[in-house]
Amino acid sequence: MKISEADVEYVAKLAVLEVADDEKKELAEQLSRIVEYVDKLNELDVSRIEPTPQVVTSVKHAVRDDRVAPRTGSSEAAGTVKLFKVPKVITER
Amino acid sequence: MNLQNITADKLVGLYKNRDLTATEVITSLYEDIERTDKDVHAFLSICRERALEEARRLDARIASGEPLEPLAGVPVAIKDNMTIRDMTTTCGSRILENYVPPYTATAVERLRSAGAIVVGKTNCDEFAMGSSTENSGFFVTRNPHNLDRVPGGSSGGSAASVASGTSVIALGSDTGGSVRTPASFCGVVGIKPTYGRVSRYGLVAFASSLDQIGPIAKSVRECAQALEVISGFDHFDSTSADISVPEFVKDLDRPIKGIRIGVPKEYFVAGLDAEVRAKTEAGMRIYEDLGCTLHEISLPHTEYAIATYYLIATAEASSNLARYDGVRYGLRVDNSSLQDMYRRTRHSGFGQEVKRRILLGTYALSAGYYDAYYLKALKVRTLILRDFQKAFEQVDIILTPTSPTVAFKIGEKTGDPLSMYLSDIFTITQPLAGIPAISVPCGKNSENLPIGLQLMGNHFEEALLLSVAHHFEKA
Repeated sequence: MKISEADVEYVAKLAVLEVADDEKKELAEQLSRIVEYVDKLNELDVSRIEPTPQVVTSVKHAVRDDRVAPRTGSSEAAGTVKLFKVPKVITER
Repeated sequence: MNLQNITADKLVGLYKNRDLTATEVITSLYEDIERTDKDVHAFLSICRERALEEARRLDARIASGEPLEPLAGVPVAIKDNMTIRDMTTTCGSRILENYVPPYTATAVERLRSAGAIVVGKTNCDEFAMGSSTENSGFFVTRNPHNLDRVPGGSSGGSAASVASGTSVIALGSDTGGSVRTPASFCGVVGIKPTYGRVSRYGLVAFASSLDQIGPIAKSVRECAQALEVISGFDHFDSTSADISVPEFVKDLDRPIKGIRIGVPKEYFVAGLDAEVRAKTEAGMRIYEDLGCTLHEISLPHTEYAIATYYLIATAEASSNLARYDGVRYGLRVDNSSLQDMYRRTRHSGFGQEVKRRILLGTYALSAGYYDAYYLKALKVRTLILRDFQKAFEQVDIILTPTSPTVAFKIGEKTGDPLSMYLSDIFTITQPLAGIPAISVPCGKNSENLPIGLQLMGNHFEEALLLSVAHHFEKA
């Protein structure tokens, strides 16, 4: 599948990424090549196959007890960073 | 004194016999870094004062006859995508140029508890995205065997540091070959453990379902020593495996006679360099001489691995990297509105490859394409996993080259992202299946560039894997 410059713009918007005008063409070409390559997966019929988002290794993974435990750095982080300042979020219409 | 020819064991022995002090070793190591690293560029940052302070403390303990930890005074280098409290952690990215984390990664913490002295943080492709360390936001690391060649990536700084003797052991991280490829290109050993074996706490996330920390060293034995130390359950990582850690070092000399080694036919195809193939085949004969049996096997979905990997890894990355928005970490490009600040910070902080992957991953996850790309890739991942499950019913170990070529020239592949992706073909499937794999040197080509042999084992079979690699190294 071909990726157009408009696609790049749309995806960049979703990714909250500024893409300069002179980058769009090259990115569209590069992404088109990559997407054409990954289209190779269409050769396979996977309609009856379960997805593997994470490899399960038949090992009990960590589910922590709901207890307060010391954690390196947490108090320092809380001590040095009182708040995060951001530009004004609410504006008048 | 040059650390290039000294092992961790030897070093600890010299300390114990009072033949050398840690202060002497660390002092001379920083002289070596000053001399060689202006060409190799393995380090992003060094921590001389802190390392010397630790060395002095160790020397005092040795003088008073205290027992020593297994890696006491061993100089280690850490890939700059692992946090160390009070030390800058950049991930090779401008967006984290001034980020100083308030906590230390579990793997690093464990190395330190075993006595190791951290000497610096090593260069890598930005957020570990790359196969050559050319994508670092700061500078390119060069291969110590030939400065015109790449060291491999993304843990190129770690491998180059070990190969040039500016650390004895280094930690890298491997998402699609990032420990094994640089180990292979730099002529050293590197192991990617089973997913879950080593805690990812403090490893800056690239693709969370694939990332694993692994050691790089000159010998299999040192890799085994480091892996034994850093492995094991950690309740700060919910994917950390609650399974006991075998004594890898003790197990190295176990007999390997009768071990069944599988050779997948899909790995010996067009694109495999003739000299790499010849050295790999010579490696197979060494195993036959050691009493192992060779078996041709098939991993039929290998040809779909790169497509699968680059969809899953970029999708996870696009989500993981959403946090770098100018609010909490490092760089902020100020602007009038919040949205503009987000967009402009990310625009100036991220390099081209990272942007490309975020866009590809966002595309693969976006409405209308999720099923066609991301979900489909997760299903093909199941097929790749099954290939390995079937193979490990017939054989104990799988043998392949680590990379289809030796280290390529700096700049050779940077213009064509897809050709760079294709160079990962042999190191992509193991993280997808979560299995461990190691790269060991198996000779050099006619241009004197190192070639790596890759061995893979079943889940949590690192002890066997290390021992099989150790026997090869000794042979």
